[in-house]
Amino acid sequence: MATHSTGTREEWLAARLELLEAEKELTRRSDEVAQRRQGLPWVRIEKEYRFETDEGSATLADLFRGRSQLLVYHYMFGPDYTAGCATCSTIADGFRGFVVHLANHDVTLSAVSRAPFAKIQAYQRRMGWTFSWASSFGNEFNFDFNVSFSEQQQREGSIDYNYERGGHAMDETTQLPDIVVQNAAMCGTDGPTYTRDRPGMSAFVLEDGAIYHTYSTYARGLDGLWGMYQWLDRAPKGRNEAELYQTGGLWWRRHDEYAKR
Amino acid sequence: MTKTDLIKRKLVSPKEWLGARKNLLVQEKEFTRLRDQLSRQRRELPWVKVEREYVFEGPNGKEALGDLFEGRHQLVIYHFMYAPDWEEGCPSCSFWADNFNGIIVHLNHRDVTFAAISRAPLKKLNAFKKRMGWTFKWVSSGNNDFNYDYHVSFPAGVPKEELEYNYGNPPFATSDLPGVSVFYKDPEGNIFHTYSAYSRGIDVLNTAYNYLDLVPKGRDEDEFEFGMEWLRHHDRYEN
Repeated sequence: MATHSTGTREEWLAARLELLEAEKELTRRSDEVAQRRQGLPWVRIEKEYRFETDEGSATLADLFRGRSQLLVYHYMFGPDYTAGCATCSTIADGFRGFVVHLANHDVTLSAVSRAPFAKIQAYQRRMGWTFSWASSFGNEFNFDFNVSFSEQQQREGSIDYNYERGGHAMDETTQLPDIVVQNAAMCGTDGPTYTRDRPGMSAFVLEDGAIYHTYSTYARGLDGLWGMYQWLDRAPKGRNEAELYQTGGLWWRRHDEYAKR
Repeated sequence: MTKTDLIKRKLVSPKEWLGARKNLLVQEKEFTRLRDQLSRQRRELPWVKVEREYVFEGPNGKEALGDLFEGRHQLVIYHFMYAPDWEEGCPSCSFWADNFNGIIVHLNHRDVTFAAISRAPLKKLNAFKKRMGWTFKWVSSGNNDFNYDYHVSFPAGVPKEELEYNYGNPPFATSDLPGVSVFYKDPEGNIFHTYSAYSRGIDVLNTAYNYLDLVPKGRDEDEFEFGMEWLRHHDRYEN
């Protein structure tokens, strides 16, 4: 690491106080954005979806499990993957520990993926996670919420991800970034198959038997929901991955794979 | 479980919703860029050399601050509120721990070592950690001044106006408050303090709150006198 300026505590404190003001300003901004987000209009869901869960076949309303708010983590696990996405796994390692708190604050968090339920179950057991995870295999849920796409959409270049057509690096079919190809290999698949599924988070509300879609976020919209990055942002070296990205290196592994390096 | 009423929002067509959502997206992206910028600014802070020796009680016996790095260059400390005479660790800090326990393995692969530090004796820390099923490293600063020097523990009998917390005064008279501190160890073994955050400065490190920020009810704590009144240790919820 390059040499860094050092100082007395007084010098540090002066700089720290200045930063504190900026941090407080950002916290206030975050509160404002959250408020605006909570003020978004709702869209009623008219379609029926059938999922496979550990309690058998379930509707979207069942996924709420008696609560009035549902957060769906669109976990990348396509039907042709041999394992769930390793990058999504680092996000899941964060929320696995606090879903119990959300559950006691009227929020059910459930992951949803297109892989058949048996595959999901085996993978979840391997990772030691216990959060709800439903399979949308065979239904249109993932396609309707813009986290799964068809080969035809890939061919035609008609993928709308993160509210933009063809705007994401994963929309490429011929020249996928190395990091995407690596991610694909970690799921036992190729780039184009891997990128037919994407990450995201969607929020729903259940009231008087009716379900409403309130919010969805994708791509870097997930950044603040990715626990490890907020901690790294406070370390002197930061995320410490710019060089790795240039050489196509992906530094993380599934939590049970690090020892194998 | 606490369950408050939903404030019903306007119902619109998918097309209309998309328009409103895209407007918000502009603001969200701007916020993400501001956060990146602030992270860069944070790393430009000067560092302060740590001249004092601290020895903690940990799973490997007596460990100096330098030992806590475990061979890495960056050390992140969570100042976990657990005073020597408390029966259990603070429920709010336990909520933070439920957030970080699972991701430390990943931080370790970016040259970051993580540890929690509290004043309670190691025996208490170990027993509570076992009860909660956590695996992070947790050491006791019960025999040193670490917690006082980093402004998360406060001597009894001193008026709060004379105490420092979050670069001001503590909000109320108390023995311990939460925080996060970051240290860097250079190849020569010198240790530097680079950063500390307290109060709502550690808000963003509780990822669960960022999840609550996505749902219609939000954090939903306004009705409580104390915001986290709804919170329990994860093994103490009724259902």
